Amino acid sequence: MALTRSERAPLVTDAIPPALRRRGITQRQVFVTCLVGALMVAVFASRDTPGWAERLGDTRLDHELRSIAGAWDETMERWGLTAPHESLRDAIHRALDWQWSADTR
Amino acid sequence: MLFPTLDFLLFFLVMAAALAALDGRFAAKKAVLVAASYFFYAQWDWRFCFLLAGSTAISYIAGLLIGASHNPARRRVVLSIGIALHLIILGTFKYLDFLVLSANQLAHMLGLEHELPFFEVLLPVGISFFTFHGISYITDVYRGDVAMCRQPLDMALYMSFFPQLVAGPIVRAAYFLPQLARPSGEPIPVVAALMLIVGGMVKKVIIANYLATGLVDPVFAAPDNYGAPDLLLATYGYAVQIYCDFSAYTDIAIAVAALCGFRFPRNFNQPYRAQRLREFWQRWHISLSTWLRDYLYKPLGGNRYGRLNTYRNLMITMLLGGIWHGAAWKFVMWGALHGGGLAFERMSQPWLGQRPVSLVGRVVSWLIVFHFVCFAWIFFRAEDFTVASVFIRRLASGWNEPMQQAQPAMVALIAIGIAGQFLPPGSFERVGLALARVPYWGLGAATGIILAAINALGPEGIAPFIYFRF
Repeated sequence: MALTRSERAPLVTDAIPPALRRRGITQRQVFVTCLVGALMVAVFASRDTPGWAERLGDTRLDHELRSIAGAWDETMERWGLTAPHESLRDAIHRALDWQWSADTR
Repeated sequence: MLFPTLDFLLFFLVMAAALAALDGRFAAKKAVLVAASYFFYAQWDWRFCFLLAGSTAISYIAGLLIGASHNPARRRVVLSIGIALHLIILGTFKYLDFLVLSANQLAHMLGLEHELPFFEVLLPVGISFFTFHGISYITDVYRGDVAMCRQPLDMALYMSFFPQLVAGPIVRAAYFLPQLARPSGEPIPVVAALMLIVGGMVKKVIIANYLATGLVDPVFAAPDNYGAPDLLLATYGYAVQIYCDFSAYTDIAIAVAALCGFRFPRNFNQPYRAQRLREFWQRWHISLSTWLRDYLYKPLGGNRYGRLNTYRNLMITMLLGGIWHGAAWKFVMWGALHGGGLAFERMSQPWLGQRPVSLVGRVVSWLIVFHFVCFAWIFFRAEDFTVASVFIRRLASGWNEPMQQAQPAMVALIAIGIAGQFLPPGSFERVGLALARVPYWGLGAATGIILAAINALGPEGIAPFIYFRF
C-alpha cells in the first residue's frame, strides 16, 4: 500500500529541549564531570562497596579489590562520611515501617 | 549490567575516558562504542552477541541490495526476505515454545494424544528491540525514507548502541544514521543528561523498586490472600511501578546517549494524564506506538478505508503490540483490551468529541482512561489468566477486609508517581536552565552526592528493569 512521504514521516521529538541543548560542554569536560561524580559516589556510598566487591569473581585481582573496598569503607567510616548514608537508610526504614494503625509501632 | 549499579558507573567512566581521548576522531569513537556495546551485551550472555551480529548482517546486506537495485520486484523480494529472516529469528527465540504449548493445549482439547516437544529456548535480552531496529531500517531504505548505509561500522553501531540495546527506546534509522555520518559538533547537554539520570534513578531505585517489593509482587503473587483495598492499591501501584521502571530506563538511556554525543527521541510524556485512550498511546512508549503506527497500522490501511476497516486495523495493531511484549495469552488480552478501547473511542467520537471541554468532563475522562489502563495492566502483570481472574473477582467482592500491604509509604509512593504526571509542561526545561549556571564539575559533584543518597534510600540490590524481558 503506497503512502505519501508526509504520511510516513515519523513524528520524532528530541528528548532534550533545544534550550538545554545549547548549553553544553565538551567531551573532555564530560569525563571530568563523570570522574568527580564517581568520586562523590565512592565517598558517600562507601557502605555498599564491600558488598559490591563480594559479588566479584574469585581471581587474585577480585580478592585484592575486596580488601581495598573494605579498607576504603573503614576509612570513610573513620572520617564520619558514612553517617549520611546510615541516617538516610534509617529514615527510609522508619518510613516503610510506618503502619496505618498506631499500635503497630 | 544494569544502569543503577556500580558496575555500570565504572563501565561508563572508562567509556567517558575513551571518548574524551578520541575527541575529534569520529571513526575511532564509533569503533570504541561498538566494542563497548558488544561488551555490555555480553554481560548477559556472550553467545547472544552472535545473534546481534547476525541480525546486523541481515539488515546491512538487505539494505545494500535494496538500495543498489532499481528493479521494484527485486527490491520487494529482498525486503520480504529481510523482514522474514528478522521475524524467524524473533519467532524462534521468543515464540517457539509458546506456539508449541498452544498447539499441545489445542491437541489436548481435541482429544489428540501426541505432543510436540519443547525446545526451551533461552530468550536473548533485548531481541524485540534490535529486531524492530533491523526491520525499520530495511523498510525505510525500501520506502526511500533513509539512504542505504554503506558503512558496516555505522550499521553495527545503529543496531548495537548500548544505551538503547536492551530496552529501547526504538530509535529509527532515519533519526540515528544521519548522526553517524559526521560529528555533530554540538555541545553535550550535561545539565539535561544529569537531570535525566537523577530523575531516572529516583523513579527506578526508590519508587519502582519499593512498590514492587512492598506491594505489587506480594499481592499479585497470591491475590486470594488480600482484600479489595490491597488489590486496588496494588493495581495503581503497578501502573506507577511500570511507568517509573520503564521511563527511568529510557531517561537514563537518553542521558547516556547524550553524554556520548548522540540524540535519542522522547519516549514518555506524562502518559497517565491522558484524557483519551488515543492520547495515552501518544504519550506512552512513544517509540513503540509510532513504530506500530508507521510499520503496521498505516500499511494495513490505517483509517482510510471506512470505519469497520479502521476498527479492524486498530485491533490487529494492538493485538500484535500485545504479543510483542511476550509470548503469552495474557499479553494478547492486554492488546485486545487496548485495541477494543481505541476502536470504541473512535466509534463514539461523534458523541464524545476529540477532547472534553468542561472541567468536569476532563476529570471524568481522565478517571475513565486511567482506570481502563489500570484494568488492562492487571492482565499484563498477573502470572496468567487464572491469577488475573482471581484478582478481578476479589477486587469486585473483598471490600470488607483490612489493608495488609498498602501501608502509608506505598500509598505515598503511588501518590508521588501520579502527581508527577501533572507537573506543568516545561518544568524540566525551567529547572535545567536554572542549573545551567552551575559549573560542570559542581554539577558532577552534586549528581554524585544525590546518587549516593538515592543508593542509601533504595532497597538492597536492584531488580532488573521490567522491559528487559520483552
